[in-house]
Amino acid sequence: MSLWRLELALLLRSRIALAGLLLLALLSVVSLLSGVHRIDSQRAAIDRIEALQRTDMAAVVAAHGDSTDAGSAAYYSFHPTWNPPSPLAFAAVGMRDVAPFMLRVRALGLEAQIHDGDIFNPELALAGRFDYAFLLVFLLPLFVIVLFHDLRSAETESGRERMLHALPAGAGRVYLRRGLVRVLAVLACVGLPFVAVALHQGVAPSLLLAVLGLATAYVLFWAALALLVARLGWSSATNAATLATAWVAIALVLPALAHVAIERAIPVGQGAEIARAQREAVNGAWDIPREHTMQRFYARYPEWSDSAPLGTDFHYKWYLAFHQNGDDSVALEAGAYRDGIERRSRAAERLGWLLPPVGMQVLLTRWAGTDMQAHLAYQDRIRDYHGQLRRFYYGYLFGDRPFTGEDFDKAPRFDPE
Amino acid sequence: MSAASLVMRSELRAMLRNRTALAGIVLVAMLALVSTVVSWHHMRGAEEYRARQQAAAQEAFDTQPDRHPHRVVHYGHFVYRLPSALAAFDAGVDPFTGSSMFLEGHRQNTANFGDVMQGSVLTRFGKLTPAFVLQVLAPLVLVFLGHGLLAQERERGTLRQLMLQGAPLRAIVSGKLAALSGIALLFMLPAFAGLAAMAAAPGASPGVAVVLMLGYALYLGLWCVLVAAVSSLVARRRDALLALVAVWALSVLLVPRVAPDLAYAAYPLPDRLQTDVGIAADLRRIGDSHDPDDPYFAGFKREVLQRHGVDRIEDLPVNYKGLVAVEGERLTSGLFDRYAARSADIQHAQNRLVAFFSALSPTIALRQLSMAAAATDLSAHLRFLEQAEAHRYRMVQQLNQLQADGVSYADDTARDADADRRKRVDSTHWQQIPPFRFEPASARVLLGALLPGTLVLLAWLLAASALLVLAARRLEVAR
Repeated sequence: MSLWRLELALLLRSRIALAGLLLLALLSVVSLLSGVHRIDSQRAAIDRIEALQRTDMAAVVAAHGDSTDAGSAAYYSFHPTWNPPSPLAFAAVGMRDVAPFMLRVRALGLEAQIHDGDIFNPELALAGRFDYAFLLVFLLPLFVIVLFHDLRSAETESGRERMLHALPAGAGRVYLRRGLVRVLAVLACVGLPFVAVALHQGVAPSLLLAVLGLATAYVLFWAALALLVARLGWSSATNAATLATAWVAIALVLPALAHVAIERAIPVGQGAEIARAQREAVNGAWDIPREHTMQRFYARYPEWSDSAPLGTDFHYKWYLAFHQNGDDSVALEAGAYRDGIERRSRAAERLGWLLPPVGMQVLLTRWAGTDMQAHLAYQDRIRDYHGQLRRFYYGYLFGDRPFTGEDFDKAPRFDPE
Repeated sequence: MSAASLVMRSELRAMLRNRTALAGIVLVAMLALVSTVVSWHHMRGAEEYRARQQAAAQEAFDTQPDRHPHRVVHYGHFVYRLPSALAAFDAGVDPFTGSSMFLEGHRQNTANFGDVMQGSVLTRFGKLTPAFVLQVLAPLVLVFLGHGLLAQERERGTLRQLMLQGAPLRAIVSGKLAALSGIALLFMLPAFAGLAAMAAAPGASPGVAVVLMLGYALYLGLWCVLVAAVSSLVARRRDALLALVAVWALSVLLVPRVAPDLAYAAYPLPDRLQTDVGIAADLRRIGDSHDPDDPYFAGFKREVLQRHGVDRIEDLPVNYKGLVAVEGERLTSGLFDRYAARSADIQHAQNRLVAFFSALSPTIALRQLSMAAAATDLSAHLRFLEQAEAHRYRMVQQLNQLQADGVSYADDTARDADADRRKRVDSTHWQQIPPFRFEPASARVLLGALLPGTLVLLAWLLAASALLVLAARRLEVAR
């Protein structure tokens, strides 16, 4: 026991080590607070939806409540959807600073709405977030390198190595004990602040332990790399340079190269093309006989085909039908687009097995529900909800039932789960 | 041969003989080359793709059948932003902003389909461009190569030997600095060659490219001086390395991320939902053109009737519905502009706050300068949005005017079976709407925007030089 304490005392007596550990603890706290602030501001924005929506709907009802036309209600009513952050989202903001987490939709063509982004400053987004994931993925290895590069070479350089080898148990045990103390010190600096914040944010204990386990594995990877380099018996400076080079390659250069390779290997048809095709289909309806539109619509949705026929006047049945037809006409392309994005994500995830920094980022954003998969899942929920909205309005419209002021309140509400 | 150049030659020889150092030099030079080629290829592909899409959208717009002008207002138009001439050097915000935008009446849409929304998590690891290599990787490799410049001589006690042989300390320091600067130059050459090729393309400004090169030269020069200074100040090679890596991490990784988070917190940006609801509420306050009893449009109607000296809108020589459409669009667009301007102001304020942190990190100064020169910064993006909005307004108003002049009020309000045919105007009108052309900022404006960043980098270089002079003096005394 006393030997362990001695190692710790030795570690803390080194000014570089102590300063490094203190800095690491400080940066952990700052990164956690920064993430919490970002996610809190998103929660506040989501909390504002209800009041904004109430004002907006009151005005819509005031203006169009007397029309009894379900079509005009569908046309003028925006329905909010949102993607609430998970309790762990503060640790890895991931896609949440660029992907919209709130979107209002109408029961019109969805393809023209679902890709709308939120307002954000692209220069701030480009820089990336200073969140806990960034601290773990990029900064933590540098601290491990600082603490581990001279684990053995310091002894060689100070001439104590021979003495250590003369110990009955051998030098190996000393290095092992020393390495373990340093790993624990690093983990304490990043782990304790995380545990405190995570408990405060209501992260499930199993998830909390999983993040700690991941961080431990990551630290062990870099420590093992450092010990591997140390076996070569170079000087402290050469060790440090070698380890930092490895870090640059694994954390910066290879992911950037892999990114280029994945984009090349998995082409994704640009979304703008789909949006254009949908627009053409929707607007083309004005130039073809209305019966064609209705036939196509009723063929696909026979449940509404008993509806009263159109007169010569404009009717929302036709309007909503061609919006539906427009979406349906690009459904295949939209599905392929989504699949392409998912395939790219999966390719990057597989890469995580080879490149630990990528793997860390992938797992953290996955667990935090802030990766591309989570955004695609949100889009799936929007699609699902949009379908409910359509059925709701179609029920009145194609059932030729009047849509009164009270009916506005009966529209299905978005369920974020 | 002077002592300084002798020192430089022997230093370079030593670096080239050291396999690790040589590998580092070759690797970065290769990366600079590869990133230039890859990025150029990528941008050319994006340019061709967007140009093709733009042509297809234009073709579809021009060949619309006879339609009611208001149908065309809703049919709208797609506009694409072509990458700027230097975008391959520094992609900047291009992957984060959408490259296409849908323009239609009564609505202001966002630019959609940025690369970041169509890719994987790797987008956030940084894009492999010459700018990334020179901003992030090159300084670190200079640190690896140069941290021992003087610290190693001191550690081994060879510095004293050199000086005993009659080499003045100044010559030793400047010779070593020159050697490191030579390596930095080697890193810049492939990227600069690519940059020169891009700047030769039509529409690019050679002057801007030269200032951009100057910015990078100042930046890497500053790192060389800093490396030499720290290497002189710190007695042990290992400590010099750790200190320099810490400076690098702080300046290249940490501050450029902390600053935006602070800017985000300091200047909250209204989100889209808030903005849309706000615009809708403001619009209702001004007036509802669909409401016959609306006071604003009742006044508008009175004024129109008076101007034409008639009592009924049926007697007007123009289609009243078209006039209302023109007036309605004028009102909504005024609101859009006001909200967009407020959002742009906040974003600029955020970036100014980030720029403030270039006092802590020269990388921020260079990053902003580089994006501004490549026209891939926020300003260039907002410029695209503004011009797209101006184009949208012109197009919609031209169509609304066409409704006023080309469709009679009687036809426009008719509901008989043949009315739909009579409401349509001839399709040749669509081709008379001028296509969208993005007008990039002039070279003079860009050069003006580059000045502050250049000065900040110069100030950093001077400060680092002062540190080096001080460090060299201490060396002299310590001897």
